[in-house]
Parts: sequence; structure tokens; C-alpha cells
Amino acid sequence: MPIIDVTNLHKVYGSTVAVDDVSFTVEEGEIFGILGPNGAGKTTTVECIGGLRRPDGGSVRVLGLDPVRDRAEVRKVLGAQLQESELPEKITVAEALDLYASFYPSPANPAELLGDLGLAGKADTRFEKLSGGQKQRLSIALALVGNPRIAVLDELTTGLDPQARRDTWQLIEQVRARGVTIVLVTHFMDEAERLCDRLALIDGGRVAAIDSPAGLIARVATEQTLRFRPSSPLEESVLTALPDVTAVSREGAHYVVTGTGNLPYAVITTLAAHDVVAAELRMDQASLEDAFVAMTGRTFEPAAG
Amino acid sequence: MSTLTKITTVESKLFLRDSTSAVMTFALPIGLMVVFGSIGLGEDDPETGITKAFLPVMALALSAALLGLSILPTVLATYREKGILRRMSTTPVHPGNVLGAQLLVNLVALVAAAVMVLLLAALVFDLGTPSNMLGFVVAFVLTATALFAIGLLVAALAPTGKAATSIGMLLFFPSMFFAGVWTPGDLMPSWARPIRDVSPLGAGMEALQDAWNGSWPGATNLLALAVVTVVVGAIAARTFRWE
Repeated sequence: MPIIDVTNLHKVYGSTVAVDDVSFTVEEGEIFGILGPNGAGKTTTVECIGGLRRPDGGSVRVLGLDPVRDRAEVRKVLGAQLQESELPEKITVAEALDLYASFYPSPANPAELLGDLGLAGKADTRFEKLSGGQKQRLSIALALVGNPRIAVLDELTTGLDPQARRDTWQLIEQVRARGVTIVLVTHFMDEAERLCDRLALIDGGRVAAIDSPAGLIARVATEQTLRFRPSSPLEESVLTALPDVTAVSREGAHYVVTGTGNLPYAVITTLAAHDVVAAELRMDQASLEDAFVAMTGRTFEPAAG
Repeated sequence: MSTLTKITTVESKLFLRDSTSAVMTFALPIGLMVVFGSIGLGEDDPETGITKAFLPVMALALSAALLGLSILPTVLATYREKGILRRMSTTPVHPGNVLGAQLLVNLVALVAAAVMVLLLAALVFDLGTPSNMLGFVVAFVLTATALFAIGLLVAALAPTGKAATSIGMLLFFPSMFFAGVWTPGDLMPSWARPIRDVSPLGAGMEALQDAWNGSWPGATNLLALAVVTVVVGAIAARTFRWE
């Protein structure tokens, strides 16, 4: 049985359709990503999973429970880290964790959790004095302090510097290693590609595709591109004659070869046979972003990074 | 320890750590007592109708007004603005517990301020004690509930913590005027007196002064306070949003 089951979820705010028709399942122990541009309906979807919003249509089940009707039961097993939710300025890290631990029937040991999250030295620091990365880690700690089976993490690396983002990613993998199922909402392609076992691409309140990151890329990745500067002059016809090559073009001193199949192997061995070395070699493969563009027919807005 | 007790303990610590709330609640009434007590305001003055009850009651009422109209709504609106209440609603504990804890903390702060004022009045400035203690307690409780109900409504309507502070201050100054803080006793212009009798701070101060001087608080005053508590409190409860 899937641990989370969302079927034909529909949610409107006034006349705005936030979520049109979203269905997916999350299996126990996986990191499931919900990826999409700003305003795609990602946050509303997880808010319905967390029982913070009542769906206008469709159904949401968490461990077989209805998050709205069985509010108390679901909240005991689901920890949530929400966008833009702060703590009182003057509360200390230890006080916050201790307080939230008291809300759950069998909480994690707050001191251990602080150590795991690299906040042990900050136990007596007030929330207002924490850095962005530390606030984010405390926020994750609060989502985990109830020993949840599911953790919902919404846009957790937004606003963090690159190092803090990488540290946070590592942390997520550690949490999963403990057996916690993770639902990760993000608009960062690299984050989704790095962390998620499977992900749902959401656009305009609908699911565009659900697959592993590699699976999504493979759906659109029919062509690869090699770009290099040959060490000595070379007839283009040598390359166009190869069965895997579909086109060859020149950009100044560089050759750009597009093709399918095992393109890099075919090109490099042919170059070697002609005593040509490929300098400044670069290979472009489709990314998750290409997959998104191909499946939704539109680009991520620049603001969504 | 129950959840409400736990939250209340944490909220008390946060209240005391915030220098603004601590100063306003405790230093302001003491300062008023010391300054005005030293220049002789506090003796019975038959010409102006000011009694020795005025000074301690004013100090007490200002504390109640600052807590109810400013500190309580600012904290609650800030908690909502920053998503603190929303964050709590993802846990098994309802954010209503935070609201309850805040009411308790502010009430305890007000009682502490009241005890200080009563001690100062009796021991330092020779103003005596409330002659009708039961009436005084009734007036005190109704004044507190009316002002806190208004504070909850401000918290319900203000979109941000800063807006709550502004609305609170907008209510605070006219409240002080109609309560006769600047025009005590018979100095209050006659057109303003009917408003004094029913405005929360005015009704509260009249009721407290009557009890201090030994009589029972006027029915108009008590009724006004009770109506404000019930009506405003009900509107606040209906309009309050957690996020």
C-alpha cells in the first residue's frame, strides 16, 4: 500500500484554480519530489497532504487516513517544514525543540537531533541570531522531532548559499537513511535531480509526468551533442558518414556533432583513427529542465531559477 | 506537564525577554506612581472631584490598556504574520493553545503590576487600600477582560504585527482621553462624560475608583464592560484567522 495516495486532487481559492487535477502515490522510504515553477500548485498540494487545507475535490490518504477528518492521527506521523514559517525571535533553539517535542506522544531526543543537525553548539542561541542555514536546519529539526514516518519539506533550500544547500541535501539523505519517507517540494532542477527517487512534474495545477529523474530525462533525450576543437584539420564527411551522427556543423574552430546511440564512442574512435585529438571536448545531454520544457511546452520562468 | 502549561512557561520567558513589554507593564505604573505621587497628586481634592483613588487606578488602568491594546495584539498578529501559528497547526497541538497561553501571560503580568501598584499606594504614598475589595476585584477582572477582548479583535483584524501596534496605539490615546487621564474628575468636559461612563478604559477606571473609595461600582460601568467583553470577544473569535 502506498504511504501517501493523492487522487484527482482539486483545490480552488475564490476564482483561482490552485490545483486542477493532481494524482500520485508515494511509497514508503522514498524521497518523492514535487517539481514545478512558482504558482504551479505544489505548496497547495502538500498543504492538503498535511491537512492544512481541505480539498475541494478528489481524495488524499496518508497511511490510509484522511488528513482533514483524522487530523490528530495524521499529525502524529507526519512532520512538516513549511515555507516562510518562523519562530518567535527570542526563543532559543533548545527551547523551541523541547516545546515541539512535548507536542508528540513519542518524540525524538531533542539533544540528539540537535547534534545530528549540526546545531549542538547553538542550543542556547536565540532564533533571531541564527543564520539562514541554521534557521532552515532548526526548521527541519522541528519537522523531525515527533519521530514522524513522513516528512514534508517545502522549498527548504530557497535563500541558502551554495554550501548550505549542499549541507542540507546531505542532511535529507541522512533522514531518509533512518527510514523516513520524504516529500520534497522544490523549484530547483538540480535539487530534484540530486535527491529524488521519483518526482512529479507539476504545471498549471496538473501533473505533467511522474518518473525517476533519469527516466524523465530519457523520455526527451533522443539526441546528444558533442562540441570540440580538432587538433588538426578534418573533413566533415568523415563524421557525417558515421551511422550514429545526424548532423555536423562548425562554429569557428569548433565542430558541433549531434547524434544518437553511442555517439561519444563512435566520434572519438573515428577521430583517433585519423590521428585527430578532440580538444576542449564538451558533451551536452538533456537535463531535467529540457524534460520539463518538452513535457509542458513552456520554459521555467527566470525567477524560478 | 500539560501542553498549555508548557507553552505558557515558554511564552512567559519570551514576554520577560522582550524589554518593551516588561518596561511598559512594570516600569510605567511605578514611574507614574512615583512622579505624580511626589508632586502631591493623590490627596483628595473636593474642588476637582479627584480622590486619592485616582493615581493608583490610573497607573493600573494604563498597564491594563497597554497590555490589552498593544502588547497582546502585537504579539499575536506577529505570530500569525511570521507563520508561527501555522507552523504549530502542523503538529498535533492546536495553535489555540498559544492564544490561551498569551492571554494567561498577559493576565498574570497585569495582576503582578496591580499588586505592585497596591503595595506602593499603601506603603509608600499613604493612599490606603481599596475599601470595597470585592467590588475592586470585580471591576478589575471586567476591565481586564474588556481590554483583552478588544486586543483579540485587533489581533484578528491586523494583517501584520506592525499594523496591530498602530491600531492599538490609535485606540490607546482616545481611550486615555475618555478615561480622564488628562482631565480627571470634574475637569473632564461635560460632553465627554457620557462616553467616559461606557468606554472600556473610562468605565473601568470609574468602577475601580468607586470601589477604592468604598462604594459599589456603578451598574452602567459594569454593564458596559461586560457588554464589550462579550460582544467584542465574540466578534474576535469569529474573525480570528490562524494564518
